Formats: sequence, C-alpha cells, structure tokens
Amino acid sequence: MTGFLSELALLFHIARRNLFTTFINFIIGLIILVGTCGQVAGSSLLSTLTSSMSKSVIGSAAGHLQVYNDASEDELAIYGQMGGQDPSLEPITDFPEVKKQLAADPNVKNIVPQGIGGGLITSGNTVDITLAKLRDLYRARDEKTPSTEGKRLTAEGYAEQIASVKEHIRQIVKVIHADAAKADALRDAKTVDPSEQEHLVTAASDAFWADFDKHPYDSLEFLENYIAPQAGDADMLYLRYLGTDLEAFQKAFDRMYLKEGQMVPTGKRGLLLPTYYYEENLKLKCARKLDKIKEQLANSRRTIATDEELKRWLKENQQQTREIVLQLDGIKTKTATTALQGFLKSDEKDLNGLLAKFFDMNDQNFHERYDFFYAQIVPLLELYRVRVGDTMTFKAYTKGGSVQAVNVRVYGTFEFKGLEQSPLAGAMALMDLMSFRDLYGYMSKDKLNEIQALKAAAPSKGLNRETAEDELFGQGGSVVNESVTSTIDEKQELSGTTAKKRGATLDENTYSQADFEAGVVLNVAVLLKNEHDLEATQARLSKMSTPNTHFRVVTWQKAAGVLGDFVYYARVGLSSAMSIIFVIAMIVISVAMIMATIARTATIGTMRAIGAQRTFIISMVLAETSALALFFGSLGAAIGSALILFIGNKGIPATTPEQYFFFAGPRFLPVLEPMHVISAFFIILAISALSTVLPAIIATRVSPLRAMQTDE
Amino acid sequence: MDTIVSIRDVVKEYSLGKVVVPALRGVNLEVKKGEFISIAGPSGSGKTTLLNLIGCVDTATRGLVSVTGQDTAQLSESALTRLRLNTIGFIFQSFNLVSVLTVYQNVEFPLLLQRKLNGAQRKERVTQLLTQVGLLDHAKHRPNELSGGQRQRVAIARALVADPQIVLADEPTANLDSATGAAIIDLMKELNHTKGTTFIFSTHDHRVMQHAQSVVRLADGLISGRETAAQAVAHSLGVEQAKAS
Repeated sequence: MTGFLSELALLFHIARRNLFTTFINFIIGLIILVGTCGQVAGSSLLSTLTSSMSKSVIGSAAGHLQVYNDASEDELAIYGQMGGQDPSLEPITDFPEVKKQLAADPNVKNIVPQGIGGGLITSGNTVDITLAKLRDLYRARDEKTPSTEGKRLTAEGYAEQIASVKEHIRQIVKVIHADAAKADALRDAKTVDPSEQEHLVTAASDAFWADFDKHPYDSLEFLENYIAPQAGDADMLYLRYLGTDLEAFQKAFDRMYLKEGQMVPTGKRGLLLPTYYYEENLKLKCARKLDKIKEQLANSRRTIATDEELKRWLKENQQQTREIVLQLDGIKTKTATTALQGFLKSDEKDLNGLLAKFFDMNDQNFHERYDFFYAQIVPLLELYRVRVGDTMTFKAYTKGGSVQAVNVRVYGTFEFKGLEQSPLAGAMALMDLMSFRDLYGYMSKDKLNEIQALKAAAPSKGLNRETAEDELFGQGGSVVNESVTSTIDEKQELSGTTAKKRGATLDENTYSQADFEAGVVLNVAVLLKNEHDLEATQARLSKMSTPNTHFRVVTWQKAAGVLGDFVYYARVGLSSAMSIIFVIAMIVISVAMIMATIARTATIGTMRAIGAQRTFIISMVLAETSALALFFGSLGAAIGSALILFIGNKGIPATTPEQYFFFAGPRFLPVLEPMHVISAFFIILAISALSTVLPAIIATRVSPLRAMQTDE
Repeated sequence: MDTIVSIRDVVKEYSLGKVVVPALRGVNLEVKKGEFISIAGPSGSGKTTLLNLIGCVDTATRGLVSVTGQDTAQLSESALTRLRLNTIGFIFQSFNLVSVLTVYQNVEFPLLLQRKLNGAQRKERVTQLLTQVGLLDHAKHRPNELSGGQRQRVAIARALVADPQIVLADEPTANLDSATGAAIIDLMKELNHTKGTTFIFSTHDHRVMQHAQSVVRLADGLISGRETAAQAVAHSLGVEQAKAS
C-alpha cells in the first residue's frame, strides 16, 4: 500500500475507533440517522406523491404542458383558483395557428383544445315530471295516440294508469301540504302568502279529486300553475365542464374510459358526465348514502355502531323519505308498502313510517337491507335525476355577464382509470367545444345563423346612421310592417317550444373538425412523447409564441393551480423540516466535534510533535465525522429505505376521496429510487463536512507543546 | 564529533498577562552527534523548555537554536514539522501514545506520516523495533492493556522508528518504578550504542543521571555547569543530604 493510502487507512482507522468511544458520538450518530432516514423516506414519499399527482393531473385534464393566452389576467388553474372560482383567461382566437406552431416540436404528441367553465343544471322537479306524465296519458287516451313512452293502452289500461298517477299526485300534494304547514309554523305570519295555503287546501280536498276527471286539463293546469312551484325539490346543481375536442381528448388522455353510454358521435354536440359527480349529485340521495356506507364498511374499519357519520347518514335517510314517496304513484306505493311490510314483518300502513323503520339500520342488518333496497325498492324509482340520453340544460354566465342557456344531450358517463373515487378527477364534465363556446358567450356559427333567422322572421330593416332619423320619423320611410291587434297565446309564448326546437336543431347539427377548431379556445393541453424532457420542451414551445399567437406555456404543476401549489407547499414543508433537522444536526455535530477536539488536544499535540502536519489533523477530524456520517447515514438510509419498501409493498389506503386523486388510485404506493438514497447520502456528507470546519480549525491550532504539558 | 544541536544565548520568556516570566535566561549548549546526555535540575529550572526548543515544538524569544545545522527561527511551521518528523524522536514523560491505535500502529505512525516506506518495509521496520523493545508479542494490544514500562518502551520504539538523529526524552522514567526506569534507560543506552543516535533526556533522578555521558545542570534558567555522570550523581546526592539534614 502506498504511503498516502496507508495514511488514509490510518485516518479511517482512528475515526472508526473513535466512533463509539463517547456518548456524544452516539448522539451525533442518532441525529445523522434520523436525518438520513427522514431525507430518504421524505423525498421518496414526496417524489411518489408528486409522481402520483402528476399522473392524476396530467392524465385527467392538464396534459404535460398547458398553453394559454399570455395576455390573460389570471394564471391558468385547471382545478380552479384558491377560493374556487375559475381564472379569468383571454381566449386563444387562432387555435389552428397555435396548433400548427406547437405541432412543429418533435416532442409534442397530442394537442387538445380546451376551455373550462361552470354552469347550473336543473333536472325539473318531481311534480312537474309527474304532471307531465299524467297530461301525456290523458292526451294519448283522448287523441288515441301512443304516449311519449311509446305505449298504446286499452281504455282499461289508461284508466288504471291515470288512476295510479293521480294517486301519486294526490300523495305529492299531501306531502307538500304537510311540509308547508310545518314551514308556515316557523315563518313570520306576514311572510306567508295566504293564496298559496288556499291552493294547497283546494288541491288536497276530496272535492277537487272527485271532479278531476270532469275537467282534467283545467285541473292539471291548476296543479301546474299553483302547486308545482311550491314543491321546490328541483336541485340547481353546479357542474364544471371542460369544453374540448372530445375525440382528441379521448385519444390523448388514455386513462379516460366510458362507464356507461357511448362516446359523443363524431361531429356532434354532446356531454359526458363524470361518474363520481353523477353518483354523488344526480343519484337518489338515500341510495347514494347507502352506497357510501357500504363502501366505508367494506374498505375501512368503521362500523355503524361506532361511527357518528355513518349514523348521521342513516338518520338523514330516515328523515328524508320524501324523495322516495314523491316519486311513487299509487300502484308503486302499494307495491313498495307491501314489500316493506313483508320484509319488516310490520302492520304499518304508512309508507313514510315503513321507510323510516327500514332505514333504521345497524351493522347486523345493513347488508341484507341494502340488497333488499336495490332489489325491491329501486326498480320502482328513478334512481338518477338525469339518465344517459337525456338532454340537460346548462345555464352559465357568459364572459360578458349575461346568462346563457344551452341544451346538451348526455351521451354517457366516464371515469379515469385509477381515479374512479376521486372527486377532483370526477368533477368536470366533458363537453363539445360548440356548446362550450355558446355558454362562454362567443359568437358561434350556430348563434350567427340563429340571429340571422330571427332577423329574417322579425319584420325589421337595417338602417344606416345618416338616414336613421328620416327613416324612423320622416315622411320618406317605407313601412316595414303594420301592427295587428291580437290575443297573446301564453301557452305558445311560454311553453319553451322555441328553445326546445333550437336545442333539437343543434343536437342534430353535424360539425366538421375544422368547425370545432375554428372557434376560440381558452387553453390547450399538450401531451409529450418524452415527459422527462418537460422543461426543455416548455422552453422551446415558449419561444414559438409570436405577436399573433401570443401564448404562454406552463407545466402541469403550474396549470394545476391550487393542486400544483399543494405539491409545492408539501415540498417546501418537507424541505423546511429537513433543513431544520440538518441545521440542528450541523450545530450539534459541530459542537460535539469541538468538545471531542478539546478533549483530545494532548493526542493532537502529540501527533503534531511527532510530525503530523496540520492537513493531517484536518483530515483526521474530517474522517471522523465522515465515518460517523457513513455509518449512521447508512443505517438511516437503510431504515428509511426499508420503511419505504414496506409501505410501498403494503400501500397506504386512500381514506378520503381527495386522497384518491393525490395517490392516483385507491392506495398510495411510495417508490424507493436509488437517487433518493444517494442524494440523502451526499447531503449528510456535506452537512458533516460543514460541521467539521470549526472543530478542524480549533484542532489545527493545537500546539505540539500540548504534548509536553498534559498527561494522557 | 559533529555538533548536532547548538544553543547560543537563548532566552525564553513566557507572558502571564502583564508579567513576563523568564524560563531560560541566556543558555549556551553544544550537543555532539551520538552523545547520551542528561539535562538535570530541579523543577522549574527550565529543563523542559530547553528540550522544547531543541525539539522545535517551541521557539526562543531571543538567541539561536540550531538543529542539524538549521536555524529553527528561520523555518516555517511546516518545515519545523518536517524537521521533527524526520530528525527528532520524542519520548514523553506520560508516554503520549494514541489510545485508539494498537502498539503496532502507534509505532508505525511516524512512518506513515513520512510516506517514505512501502507497507512491507514499514512492517519490517516496526517489527524490528518492537523486537528490540521486547514487545512484538504485544503488537496488537492497545496502550491501555500495557503496563507503564511497556508503554514507555512503545514510546521509545515510536521515537526511533523513523531513524531520527536526535531523541529527546522528557523525564522518561518519572512515571515508572525504579527497576522499570533503569531498564528503560538501559534500552535507550543500548540504542545509543548500537545506532549512534543522539539522546538528550531531562531528569532530576540521580539513578538515571549516572547513565549519561555528561550532565548539563540547569538552575533558574541558566546552565550552571556540565558535569560527568559521577559528578552529577555526587552533586545530586549532596543536595539531597543537605535537604535531609
């Protein structure tokens, strides 16, 4: 062995021998161990979390990069800003040009135009739906045409159906009447409208129902005008939507799959509802609660007996039987009552009472009752307020501030693989770009056609500014049309026929790819071939922006808004915690090494006297801390790695819906990467080296004279 | 014989706050190669200070200290360290072995600092020295497993392993019983004879002094005389008798 290597070996031998000679070294070692373990485990957890979240964010809407108008007031936030509102973005007016520029980059795989908005959806209340059904039955019976459900019945059949629906409506009236009485008792008498009470009393009276068939259409009108508005069970739901080229979206975001229904046909307007939202908001509430209880009982250790939330859900089901009762007509009420009486072995005749008893569930009877509910009760009900194939009306505030309504047909429901339980991934519906543009308030080809059609239908004439006064008030103007006095047909005006017709027409329209791409979009998702080249690609794409296109390119993390910030803050939090640990470690190591140096001045002095240069003494102190760092750092890294491998093997189950998104699935499976272990090692070595500076300086100042003065 | 250490008009003062304490007050001394001399004197007479200056672990306030012809005042810190490593061997009163190293490693230590010999050569050299001091069987022991005499023999082996021209020993037998002390002095003397190494050791023990070729007597920071061993012993015994009476 050469002298240098032998000297090095001697240094490490001294360091190794000193490793366990003092208790303080053990303390230093523990700090290094905890620090390294924390660094390995923390960086692995954070890295996996970032990776999982990136999968969720990239795979569910954002893509690797997002492009939007650089003149935008706010920064893009796919999942909304802090506080929940959507950011104010300037549109990209020339998407084809932007697409062309972006597509020129060799790392760009997919380009998906997008626009995010939110609107209110209504599904109509049960009374409206039931009254419409009864009206339809009377019309079919009287006109001898099939009902809208396509059935043509015998006279007895119609009588039976009409009687059943009438019974249903009578039941609804009773419920509304009882609810109103309770509400009135709580309200200030001045705010109670006496006419509302009168109408309810009339509708609940036997006389009203005895005479119903004498004037069925008048009776129906009375119920529609005065009773239905008091029902108020129609939910106004907020739904965020992502307007996009649906085919391009499906191709680019391959984790997306259809759960029910079909893809919106090529070139058509249409909507796909996220399954999570569909289940959470559009399903019968009591059924949804039962589903959630079942999930909780199966996936966690929660029990009804011990869990307050599960108890509360069941209590709510017991108190909110109205949503079931309101849906059932006479025949179905009887069926449900008989089934429940048999199941519960009860003589109770009131369906409300039976349902309250039925929902009084516990851990022992839950599963049996759950199965019974789905087998016997659910077939009598509309389980979802909106079904695939229905047309939904979206109402949204346009960018200009006016309210815009658009009818869109629901073609299906969808999910993202691994994110089925995530409310974040399952919060946005996918909508065609045409409907999105309508809701956002941009002039589309359809709207232009509609305005022109309205102008053509209206007796109007275009005037220019110079001759307007003469034309309007002078003598020379030609008469456009003469007004004719006539009766206003309220039914015609208020029936919404025009809107339905427009909706139906738009539904039938077929658009070309060029039509979809020609209008404005708010942002563009870019998916890359090589995602590791993210920053470089971002830089390249940013340089492509011209004064015409004027776009900004951000990473998925930035585009994720509050979610991206979460990753950032988690990283900052971990880094801060680790920095604090390391600073403490550095101080403790430094102080301990100073103490160790002071305690060994005689030895150091002897070495100096014998002929050891100062560099040797520095090396000796450095070697000692390095030995501590290597030994305890290895131990810490091994423990941290074992911890991650253990957790990675078992996984941490997602217990809240949000965690499904963060974990990109039902379990969090941290991955140990060699880089985390290596970097932790280098960090701890650097910390140790820094800690050595002061003790090393002190050590080099020990005079060889100390050898002559002190006893060993 | 050539002069290996030359001390001329050396003054060494220590500052204790505002008080200046003279340790040596104009010392002149010549030591020839191969000499086996003792520096004697009572405590506080300046024996250790003189050894420190010769051993280049301290510098004189004034005067010339020349070791192997080099004026130590003119040498850098690094050069002085090299001079200690290659020219001087130290034997300390308290042995000063590195407790975490084995006997073998303690002896090998100066050779590793020198980086002159390869592993095999070092091994041969260390083995030779340990054999000479009779501790080869204890090569793998740690200092705390040895007796005082054994430790001092390890220190002697360490002092001689780099083949120094001068060995400085500060009260080498002070912490040993008389028999062990005598054995250590015999060993040093034997090495002086066989290798011609210059030995300068401080002591106030007349039993040790009697082995020296000459004894330099120090008192109050000044050399009061240079005597033969017999004269020095007689001197010491006289002083002791005077004290006793």
